[in-house]
Amino acid sequence: MLKFLPFIWRNLARNRLRTTLTTSAIALAVALVCLLLTMPAGLDAIMSSLASNTRIVVVNKGGLVYPLPYAYLNKIRARPGVVAATSWTWFGGAFDVDRGVTFPNFAIEPDSVGTVWEDWGIAPEQLEAFRKRRDGALVGRTTLQQNGWKIGDRVTLSSTIFPVSLEFQIVGEIPLERAPHFWFQREYLDQALRAKTGTGLDFLGTAWVRVDEADRVELLLSEIDAMFRNSEAETSSETELSYMKNFMGQLEGFVTIILIVTGLVALCLVFIAANTASMSVRERVAEIAVLKAVGFRRRLVFNTLLAEAVLLSMIGGGAGLLTALGLTQALKAAGAGWSPALGPLGSFIITPTIFVQALFLALFVGMLSGWIPAFGASRRSVASALREVF
Amino acid sequence: MIELRDVSRTYKRGADAIRALDHVTLDIDSGRFVALMGPSGSGKSTLLNIVAGLDRPDSGEVVVAGQKLPDMSEDELAAFRARHVGFVFQFFNLIPVLTARGNVELPLLLTHLGKAERRERALTALRIVGLEERAEHHPNELSGGEQQRVAIARAIVSDPEIVVADEPTGDLDAKNAVEILELLRALCTDFGKTVVMVTHDARAEAHVDIIHSLDKGVLADPEMAARA
Ligand SMILES: Nc1ncnc2c1ncn2[C@@H]1O[C@H](COP(=O)(O)OP(=O)(O)OP(=O)(O)O)[C@@H](O)[C@H]1O
Ligand SMILES: [Mg+2]
Repeated sequence: MLKFLPFIWRNLARNRLRTTLTTSAIALAVALVCLLLTMPAGLDAIMSSLASNTRIVVVNKGGLVYPLPYAYLNKIRARPGVVAATSWTWFGGAFDVDRGVTFPNFAIEPDSVGTVWEDWGIAPEQLEAFRKRRDGALVGRTTLQQNGWKIGDRVTLSSTIFPVSLEFQIVGEIPLERAPHFWFQREYLDQALRAKTGTGLDFLGTAWVRVDEADRVELLLSEIDAMFRNSEAETSSETELSYMKNFMGQLEGFVTIILIVTGLVALCLVFIAANTASMSVRERVAEIAVLKAVGFRRRLVFNTLLAEAVLLSMIGGGAGLLTALGLTQALKAAGAGWSPALGPLGSFIITPTIFVQALFLALFVGMLSGWIPAFGASRRSVASALREVF
Repeated sequence: MIELRDVSRTYKRGADAIRALDHVTLDIDSGRFVALMGPSGSGKSTLLNIVAGLDRPDSGEVVVAGQKLPDMSEDELAAFRARHVGFVFQFFNLIPVLTARGNVELPLLLTHLGKAERRERALTALRIVGLEERAEHHPNELSGGEQQRVAIARAIVSDPEIVVADEPTGDLDAKNAVEILELLRALCTDFGKTVVMVTHDARAEAHVDIIHSLDKGVLADPEMAARA
């Protein structure tokens, strides 16, 4: 077969414009398929970078709006494998009462914050200050920026849930763009409520738990839920990752749509390539007849024509793959370099799997598109082909 | 070399059946230059195709180079053609993307010959037709007569015993036509090939050994040509 390669190659080069156009179309479609294929994994990677797999969240089974008894927190802390646990209780504090709640603010336990969210990179001395000051607050970067606050400022929030207003001193920053939270000490709220109403805070909103090993997470999830089954408030525990995925809603559906689009692009590709293959066979009826007259067997005629289609689509596929590789590399470089906002785009990576898939796609497209025209041409009788042409 | 016994070939066209060959019996000896003549539609190409193993008769016997063609499968016929028959067509039918040498080499791709050997033989065949120095030219850089000579080189490159030519001069001017006829004549005389040529060209009579006339699929008694 190798000695026929120059001949096959020359046939491809016969109509340069058409070959170029078809190659480009195939390259573009393969590049598109590659990029689409990076998306499910890319989205997953973005999610994972936003969420930790060893942090689990426990909420009321009835839904996020229902509280859990505060006693649950210590019960959870007592489980083996739990490194630290803290709770969030929604304060619903408004800085400007007319505008309402403009950022999420929670009462939490200051001691375990640094451990549960150690991946958030809060400065140790700020954590320490937070622990020490009863009215201290840790505030997310975006919330600081939006309100023009800085560390050391004093801020008063009026709760839309509790009958209190509290004054805080900002002692630290949560250095994450995506964490707008305003955290303050649960004890501060508890004491204010006792002073005002005579009863303290006896519930929590969500409990956040840091687990020692990823392997233990699954077991702990079911243990915690089992522990509170048939009690006054049943719980639902999830890893932070799945919690976020649910929160993001129809991610799975989105991935399905991506895969369907990918399939359609691939199909489109087959039509483009098949069109080229059948045109190039049709305009060569006489030549193919001559090949057969000279003694080329049917199989050989079929093989050379099929090889031509496969070669064409492999060249296009290779070019498309390189384009997609270049593009993802550029995105990654852009994310790493001048624009941190593009950072997550670096998660769209052409993996070796996608690489191989793309090559196979090109191979299949070539086969599929070349098959019928090549088969027809190889079956055609020489005498009738020559008669038709002349 | 070529024996046809009672060969018939019918084409169906709708409800009608067209009898392109009607009980044709024909013997052609080795090393002869034979012309098939007759009006258009008389069955000349059909006969030539059957002789060359491109088509099969409905009935009758065909033995060429000792082989019974009607019994052979498609692939066996292809192998037979590669081994025993060279083809020359009216419209030259060279592959436009290959050079003259590439075209001549094409039949050799089916052999076990190495690259250097294929090249050597192709050049030898081109030398025989007087076009060695045009070896690297593409068909569109050659005149009609030259293209037909390249086609003849392609027909003889694998050294077949038989060369069939369907109106090889049909698309050429007088001067080129005569050159081609002389070349085919030389294939017989100098190289011992059996040449079967379909032609309308009256000039052919001066070059061939025997003329067979067909009319409506029926073969008339052979006529010795002037030179024989
Ligand atoms: N594939 C076919 N289908 C139907 N009829 C055919 C077919 N091939 C040949 N014929 C008919 O058979 C008859 C003989 O055809 P053939 O091509 O052998 O004639 P010819 O002598 O070569 O004519 P010409 O000089 O015009 O080339 C013609 O009537 C032709 O129409
Ligand atoms: Mg004819």
